[in-house]
Amino acid sequence: MAALVVPTHRRPPAIYRAARALRWVSAIVLVVLILYAGTVAYSATEVARSSVQSRSLSASFAANGTVEVGGSFTLSNPGLYPIQTVTLTARIANGAGVFLGKLGVGPTDIAPSSTGVFPFALYLPVSASGPAVSLLTEDQYLDVNAWGNATYAYLFPISVSLSESRSWGAPFEGFQATVGTPSGSGGALTVPVTVTFSNHAGSPDVGTLTFVIESSNYVDCGGGAFSLDVPPGGFYDQSQNVALSSGCSPAGGQLFTTYSNAGGTTPLPPEAIP
Amino acid sequence: MSGPPRAFVPMQETGGYQIPSLGYRILVAALLLIPSFFLLVALPVAALTFVNSRGIALPISIVAVIVWGFLLLGVGTARSILKPTRAYGPLSVAASLVSLLYLLYLITLSPYRFVVPGGSASIAAGYSMFLELVMIVPAIGLVAGLLTTVEDARAPKERLPFDYPA
Repeated sequence: MAALVVPTHRRPPAIYRAARALRWVSAIVLVVLILYAGTVAYSATEVARSSVQSRSLSASFAANGTVEVGGSFTLSNPGLYPIQTVTLTARIANGAGVFLGKLGVGPTDIAPSSTGVFPFALYLPVSASGPAVSLLTEDQYLDVNAWGNATYAYLFPISVSLSESRSWGAPFEGFQATVGTPSGSGGALTVPVTVTFSNHAGSPDVGTLTFVIESSNYVDCGGGAFSLDVPPGGFYDQSQNVALSSGCSPAGGQLFTTYSNAGGTTPLPPEAIP
Repeated sequence: MSGPPRAFVPMQETGGYQIPSLGYRILVAALLLIPSFFLLVALPVAALTFVNSRGIALPISIVAVIVWGFLLLGVGTARSILKPTRAYGPLSVAASLVSLLYLLYLITLSPYRFVVPGGSASIAAGYSMFLELVMIVPAIGLVAGLLTTVEDARAPKERLPFDYPA
């Protein structure tokens, strides 16, 4: 009679079972991690395709002595994982490297399959004594350095830094306020004041330009006002005669001008009177 | 004279296991080598070459990927061929250790920084947390290999009927 071989049903030793169980766990963890890595790569590609979009960037006069550069950027996250603790900081300097201001956004999270919209506003002090006063009267390139941090899919920290030059159109490009030669007779002297500039900003210059003629010994000789409504790209060239105070000579003094609109008042750089 | 029928003798008692021949084991190991080669060498090298062709700096050199990949393939193949022997446990430990060292090497290269062509932007992506998580896999394999080594030392061939049932 031939021997009939049947499979053994003896239980494997504990140490063997433990090793086998560990190998199974290891294999399952590996498969899960490979699937995770694959989906992360796919999602990251989708996010990269959507890219950051900046929109509605605008500059306008805000509270006293400041220009507000405002706008927003959107970041779409069409992937499967959240983008967490998104922070963005931007530092702006003028063409001469003088620090003008910085802005910050976040930290915030962007859920999967959603879009984050981040408004921002940067207030640049453009008072006559401030570092950004040249923004009023000189077209220039601004150095924008931005850097951001985020964590993608829980495990992947990402940081981005960006440097670029952005052209700036001055609202009073080439601003000149000149005082002419006094004329008249007796004690009634008048002097012509001429203001010229181009509006290279994206918004119109609407408001009032008031001016004061100050003598070399700081006496107010007289003043006036120009009404402004200069569209973007427009050129302004207006003159008016100003009656001088009795005995006041503008020679060697200064012409102070101030722009006023609904947002407040902004002093423009003073002009020396020859 | 009567006794228990031989047909009911358990296999363990009759040495009931059947180890495949060396040639067969080499064939199986070679077949397993194909997907492993794609995963550990071909795919990463192709990805790196693609990235390099776009002018983006590589996070790791192609030579390093090839060296580490073939090292892992060599140890893994030897482990597979020598599974019926007492070398299986130590080779499992060795394979896990090589994997751990490879992962540690990759962690030292994190974060990956590259400058967008044109030089105006740079991006840094960290992946060390993910790799630390991946290290769980060879760490578990290391423990499993140690257990097998202990088992083979304590009771040689004890596992063979379960690894290679007749």
